[in-house]
Amino acid sequence: MKCTGTIDVRDVDESSINIDPIQVGGRLTPDAMKAMIAYGDGYSVCDQCRKPFRLDYINTPPIAQFHRDLASFVNMEIARVVPGARRGFQAVADAFISPGDPVLITALSHYTEVLAIEGRGGVIREIPKTGSNIITSELAAQKIEEVTREFHRSPTLLFLDHFDYQYGNRHDVAGIIRVAHQYDIPVLYNGAYSVGIMPVDGKKIGADFVVGSGHKSMAAPAPSGMLATTSEWAGRVFRTTGVTTDVTKRTFGIKEIGMMGCTLMGVTLMGMMASFPHVRERVTHWEEELANGRKVVDALMSIEGTVIKSEYPRNHTLTRVDTTGSFDRVAQVHKKRGFFFSSALKGKGIAGIIPGATKVWKFNTYGMTDSQAEYLATAFRDIGRENGLAVTD
Amino acid sequence: MSKRAIDAVFEGLFLLTDIRVMLRETAPQHALDESQREKVRSLLDALEKEVAVLREELA
Repeated sequence: MKCTGTIDVRDVDESSINIDPIQVGGRLTPDAMKAMIAYGDGYSVCDQCRKPFRLDYINTPPIAQFHRDLASFVNMEIARVVPGARRGFQAVADAFISPGDPVLITALSHYTEVLAIEGRGGVIREIPKTGSNIITSELAAQKIEEVTREFHRSPTLLFLDHFDYQYGNRHDVAGIIRVAHQYDIPVLYNGAYSVGIMPVDGKKIGADFVVGSGHKSMAAPAPSGMLATTSEWAGRVFRTTGVTTDVTKRTFGIKEIGMMGCTLMGVTLMGMMASFPHVRERVTHWEEELANGRKVVDALMSIEGTVIKSEYPRNHTLTRVDTTGSFDRVAQVHKKRGFFFSSALKGKGIAGIIPGATKVWKFNTYGMTDSQAEYLATAFRDIGRENGLAVTD
Repeated sequence: MSKRAIDAVFEGLFLLTDIRVMLRETAPQHALDESQREKVRSLLDALEKEVAVLREELA
């Protein structure tokens, strides 16, 4: 079926259980879908924009209130919406990093943090991970000492992911931030895999900046996200224009430089806002989400030769699994070779695994109903049995 | 056609959206239990009313 012309209808989530590691937390709520219908036109939120002509001042629809609610949601003081978490990283990088500044990330940081630093000419240094793929405060302290010796000054900034994109492992953000603050290093907490799916308290963690992703974890269309901070740093990262142009003598009110003026001027913001009441509520059900994830992880572990590469027991619904010793063994002799696995999943109505992947792959169970989680767990076991692998009950 | 027709279009689309969500929640087998069936029936009844409004507006 076509939407129009050459564009197919996308019905992955209507026809299948989607376990794509990056998609599940961004699926829209029913209310966001309805907002998409009503606010799809370009600058759709600007009908009632009045002086001082800035997104976070608009009262109809209640965008100003939404900004206050967002800050409160992550227990920070000031928040802005941004076109994806990456633009939050970039805004903070632009405000803090000068060429040649040492900047810390971790061995499991997302590539967009690297790009944000590189764009400013910062010098990237990584906090290493442990053998079990965890970032610890001890390793952070060692790296800060090492970088301080190398550059004769402390790192300018630390980018820290609460849950990393590779393993979905939980890292000791509060402990690491405590260490960084002993060296006066401000810390950006990357909550792309936490804000919107589990409770996040920026003050309790000690973060200077909290970044969340609308399309990854807040049931919003892409690109959307949030950047929240304290009143201490807000003036720097949300600084306003002060320029007067030379020929026309124009000035630009209170537009924020780091935000490039207004950020989400239409359907992305309205989708985010429409989902927000549900998102605020759903974070309180994180333990139930973990329970569903564990059902599926346990099913995979029951298949001979399968290894869970993420920390175990799981603290996140995103999991990395190594099936070199199970499904990949089947692939060596199956007529469909490596495609047998994705094909078998598709046959059972499961989508989201890269076709051909049989060795190391990731999946995410977030947002499933209990019966969908049971179904998925059974499907993995059945595919194992149907292909001659030993499966324990 | 009037404001009533505009409202009926949006209301109809929203009702269809609720049915779409039911498809998502029951994927991939779409084996609805009795309460889910009842909910869809009720959505369809409401949708038919909105379609009736549009027909009236067109007349």
